[in-house]
Amino acid sequence: MEEYAREPCPWRIVDDCGGAFTMGAIGGGIFQAIKGFRNSPVGVNHRLRGSLTAIKTRAPQLGGSFAVWGGLFSMIDCSMVRMRGKEDPWNSITSGALTGAILAARNGPVAMVGSAAMGGILLALIEGAGILLTRFASTQFPNGPQLSEDPSQLQPP
Amino acid sequence: LPASLGRGCLGRWLLASRGWALLGTGTGTGTGSSPCLRWRHQPPPLLRAARQSIGTQAGGLKAAKPGGDSKDVSVQRALNEETLVSAAQKVKEAGRDFTYFIVVLVGIGVTGGLFYVIFKELFSSSSPNKIYGDALEKCRSHPEIIGVFGDSIKGYGEATRRGRRQHVSHIEYVKDGLKHMRLKFYIEGTESGKQGTVHVEVKENLETGRFEVRYIFVDVETYPRRTIVIEDNR
Repeated sequence: MEEYAREPCPWRIVDDCGGAFTMGAIGGGIFQAIKGFRNSPVGVNHRLRGSLTAIKTRAPQLGGSFAVWGGLFSMIDCSMVRMRGKEDPWNSITSGALTGAILAARNGPVAMVGSAAMGGILLALIEGAGILLTRFASTQFPNGPQLSEDPSQLQPP
Repeated sequence: LPASLGRGCLGRWLLASRGWALLGTGTGTGTGSSPCLRWRHQPPPLLRAARQSIGTQAGGLKAAKPGGDSKDVSVQRALNEETLVSAAQKVKEAGRDFTYFIVVLVGIGVTGGLFYVIFKELFSSSSPNKIYGDALEKCRSHPEIIGVFGDSIKGYGEATRRGRRQHVSHIEYVKDGLKHMRLKFYIEGTESGKQGTVHVEVKENLETGRFEVRYIFVDVETYPRRTIVIEDNR
């Protein structure tokens, strides 16, 4: 299914950045709504107002951090694809590590290494989950072509 | 207990020092504020000595920390007198610890499984990704391919919903007792813009235990369709 008739790569950065922002904003919104609700004085009006204030203050911040992470990751990923010329899971893992390192740059080299390790491990887990899902989904469809003979493009041996 | 008391005191402290209205500190926690103030002048190593005074002010402390968790309550009880922790409490705590243990175990299991999958995919020589990498290298160094596609060639697999094309489509099957695998991926010349499909088949070699190539050929998407055979070991 050719949904993307064009190259995904440069446009994927915007896509990922926006997607990450939405995830952060919605997740942060829900979390801050509950937190604001609980940390407000008794009375439904107070609580609703407290929860709304918490959402307005904190949810965009979380969305922003997520967007920075997602955008940077996608940029490094696309650059690596362009440099190496092939797309495989190594790109994602290295991009995750570099993103973690860059975002911790203010805290010195040791923190960068730790953050890079965390980013790399996180991305490795996500890639592993993605591979598992794809394998699962492909084994759901048991009918494959019957492969007893070699393709017709090859001359007989 | 001393640590949580310290945090509570520090919290109220910070609120006071920031000049915010001391909402809770004046009214409800009158008796409870004195351990706070006294504690402020004592450095942390003297907490053990301070515990006596904190213990006798149990009532005040309870008012200061209305939501104290059961661990605090049980330590206070031990300080005050020899109350038996009831059997129900013990069972509840044991149940909770057990649930946490199970959750940790499940988490470790899932994480370990994911790591195993990703290592197998990236490092094992019989993974589709490795075979795709080797085939791509062979394509890149073949003179006829370079002639058609240009110098820099990029390879990719199937497009997923998000646009990432990392998944290489492959099928494994068994024939004559040996495992075979067929792969299909796409290559594209960056300058010429020509596209092609690469078909690879590998067969398992029982002596070495690795996969060896049976054939590699490329279908070029030009108008008279060309097929370039890179390797044919049948």
